[in-house]
Amino acid sequence: MEEEDEEARALLPGGSNEAGRGTPAAPRALPALCDPSHLAHRLVVLLLMCFLGFGSYFCYDNPAALQTQVKRDMQVNTTKFMLLYAWYSWPNVVLCFLGGFLIDRVFGIRWGTIIFSCFVCIGQVVFALGGIFNAFWLMEFGRFVFGIGGESLAVAQNTYAVSWFKGKELNLVFGLQLSMARIGSTVNMNLMGWLYAKIEGSLGSAGHTTLGVTLMIGGITCILSLICALALAYLDQRAERILHKEQGKTGEVIKLTDVKDFSLPLWLIFIICVCYYVAVFPFIGLGKVFFAEKFGFSSQAASAINSVVYVISAPMSPIFGLLVDKTGKNIIWVLCAVATTLVSHVMLAFTMWNPWIAMCLLGISYSLLACALWPMVAFVVPEHQLGTAYGFMQSIQNLGLAIISIIAGLILDTRGYLFLEVFFIACVSLSLLSVVLLYLVNRAQGGNLNYSARQREEMKLSHTE
Amino acid sequence: MCGCALRCWGWGPWAPGPTLFLGLLLSAAPFGLHGEETRQVSLEVIPDWEGPPQNLLHIRAVGTNSTLHYVWSSLGPPAVVLVATNSPYSTLSVNWSRLLSPEPDGGLTVLPEDSVQFSSALVFTRLLEFDSTNVSDPAADPPGKPYPPYSLADFSWNNITNSLDPVSLSSTFQGHLVNDPTRAFANGSLSFRVQAFSRSGRPAQPPRLLHTADTCQLEVVLVGVLPRGNRSLFGLEVATLGQGPDCPSMQQQHSIDDEYAPAVFQLDQLLWGSLPSGFVQWRPVAYSQKQGGRESALPCHASPLHPTLEYPLPQSPIVRAFFGSQNFCAFNLTFGASTGPGYWDQHYLSWSMLLGVGSPPVDALSPLVLGIMAVALGAPGLMLLGGGLVLLLRHKQYSEYQSIN
Repeated sequence: MEEEDEEARALLPGGSNEAGRGTPAAPRALPALCDPSHLAHRLVVLLLMCFLGFGSYFCYDNPAALQTQVKRDMQVNTTKFMLLYAWYSWPNVVLCFLGGFLIDRVFGIRWGTIIFSCFVCIGQVVFALGGIFNAFWLMEFGRFVFGIGGESLAVAQNTYAVSWFKGKELNLVFGLQLSMARIGSTVNMNLMGWLYAKIEGSLGSAGHTTLGVTLMIGGITCILSLICALALAYLDQRAERILHKEQGKTGEVIKLTDVKDFSLPLWLIFIICVCYYVAVFPFIGLGKVFFAEKFGFSSQAASAINSVVYVISAPMSPIFGLLVDKTGKNIIWVLCAVATTLVSHVMLAFTMWNPWIAMCLLGISYSLLACALWPMVAFVVPEHQLGTAYGFMQSIQNLGLAIISIIAGLILDTRGYLFLEVFFIACVSLSLLSVVLLYLVNRAQGGNLNYSARQREEMKLSHTE
Repeated sequence: MCGCALRCWGWGPWAPGPTLFLGLLLSAAPFGLHGEETRQVSLEVIPDWEGPPQNLLHIRAVGTNSTLHYVWSSLGPPAVVLVATNSPYSTLSVNWSRLLSPEPDGGLTVLPEDSVQFSSALVFTRLLEFDSTNVSDPAADPPGKPYPPYSLADFSWNNITNSLDPVSLSSTFQGHLVNDPTRAFANGSLSFRVQAFSRSGRPAQPPRLLHTADTCQLEVVLVGVLPRGNRSLFGLEVATLGQGPDCPSMQQQHSIDDEYAPAVFQLDQLLWGSLPSGFVQWRPVAYSQKQGGRESALPCHASPLHPTLEYPLPQSPIVRAFFGSQNFCAFNLTFGASTGPGYWDQHYLSWSMLLGVGSPPVDALSPLVLGIMAVALGAPGLMLLGGGLVLLLRHKQYSEYQSIN
């Protein structure tokens, strides 16, 4: 991480010299690394983009990595603990619609990114201060502020990607960004517990101060992201000056009145999305202690297995993306993914089999679902409503996550893990039911959701003819 | 008489599970004891007409062709003698003068003597206390530097007649240290709440152990006692009868089901001899708050059973009276770990166990869980099947039309 930091700093003075000259230098005179039209320069930008999201993904799952410590040091039960996740999701119920608008019309991509990064930083600092001052409400407030920045930062990150890489390596870039996000989560899961133990050793005792200091140190990743945001803003502006390229826009047009025109398949996709993700993210939030308590894993082993979904998702997302692109048949892939997830939850709930099997299955199905489900929206919605549809999908996903996080904590406190798993199974099953329904509706309406790639190609040709 | 021993223990409202089938298989063994769905339970404090009142509680659970006798007493350390007979008419006979004498052998008998199928005893000998500061390993044994233990034989106990509740079939032995120079027990006590059951069920308080008419529950509560250190862990030394040179076996069962005791996936059992004879069953969890929730759950660690020849245990007159001179085995239960919640939070600690004869009750998935699973797995399957059929039929019709055209 420090290397990247240095790299970002190294770029800055170089850039300021350029700016100091005041006159746009001839592009040919620039070395490859500083030439915005050159691949080497774009790779630097790509690196910055990837680390732009690293901090927020690293810190998002801080509570999961430190579940035992948070509950013990702050003396809260699981229900209250899960509020930390719920408070992250609440602002995003609204912000999913607003993020694009704010970036396009109010702040612009550069300031937008910087502002959202600041929110992430401040949120994490407040979260950590809550630990230091032993005030759980302050921690919750910190997560709320963090949430304001977190999701919108992802939108900004994508906008940057489109603006720099459109028509070039865009899909690869998206894939890399996603992988980087997963790496952030994985590093967090496996690092924070260790970090806590180290700080406990140096402070002499465990307690809320230790927790706060640990989180504060975790916040360094957010500072790093903020530095990336600043560097990106500078480089983007410089590129605009040199290449006369426009400032990136999300291009999202959100019209809430469009919601009434949403078709039945789209609503089914929403249900699939919500019911699926609420059985994955809250589970991971609670997973570490589950593996420790049910399967008797050590803290480190529990962290490792809890992060395996992310580990698998990092390399598999691009592969599955390619697979779905080449074959089409999205509904069948979604069906496979949801059914596999169901199997994995059933295994976790009703067997004492080594949970690595179930978690690997979950990781694979999670990656597959993301690749097959999200593009389906584009097949059932006219292009001008796409922004609204995606915004809506993310919004209700966050709403679902917020509510289910609280319910999951409540169930765990009163009914235990088996019942919680059964609850998650019920959610996935509802998702599966919706997939089946979607398949039938699509078949009955003669929809294009389940076309193979070749059929899609033919459709495209017949349209253009 | 023994022919009917083929009838099963453990017929209950449990849905089948692999452990249950195993239990049925074992319980169908011909050397078994009788399990009964319901029993007529009576609690009686047996009076000693000639002396001061003594705490001798007799729980008699009568079934259609068997009787269980639980004799609880705080003469000496708190102890229980458990006797199972194959007659609905067996009775307990107490010879007080012999029981209170230094040689109490034969002071307690169950008549007719040849109806006795199984008998054993538990003695709660000492309350242990450990200093857990500077202990990093939560599974360390002992869990810290031990303080001198409190011998429960040196406790003074309340008169249980006052706490006898014939409705809930329960009674409480509440005791405190008599010679208490540090005044640790000035505002505190150690109590043993004993409860019998006339049918199977499950209490509302965690750990919600499943009980049957063949079992009896003991809840040990330590409250208000001043600990000798900031992070004192308490423990209980429990002694039981040895079997010849050996000790009874301790079993740890893992289960997938933690619905009744959230996040506790283990069930510990002490089994006297081969199944089904008698058992002590508990979840390895204690609670540091009265409304035991997950946040107040403490791990409960049981040491292996060991013979107690090396050191003298406080003797229980009732056990001696029924069994004569026997060798004992003991194990230590310790509650809590150096980190996490503990007795120090509220000066409260509670732990429950089940004592009974026959096969230990086996937990099964609750109807709610089974119901949700049936719907969750059935609905998408049916939908797929039904929808597929409809589509297939429509497709057929459609292609028939086409062929006519």
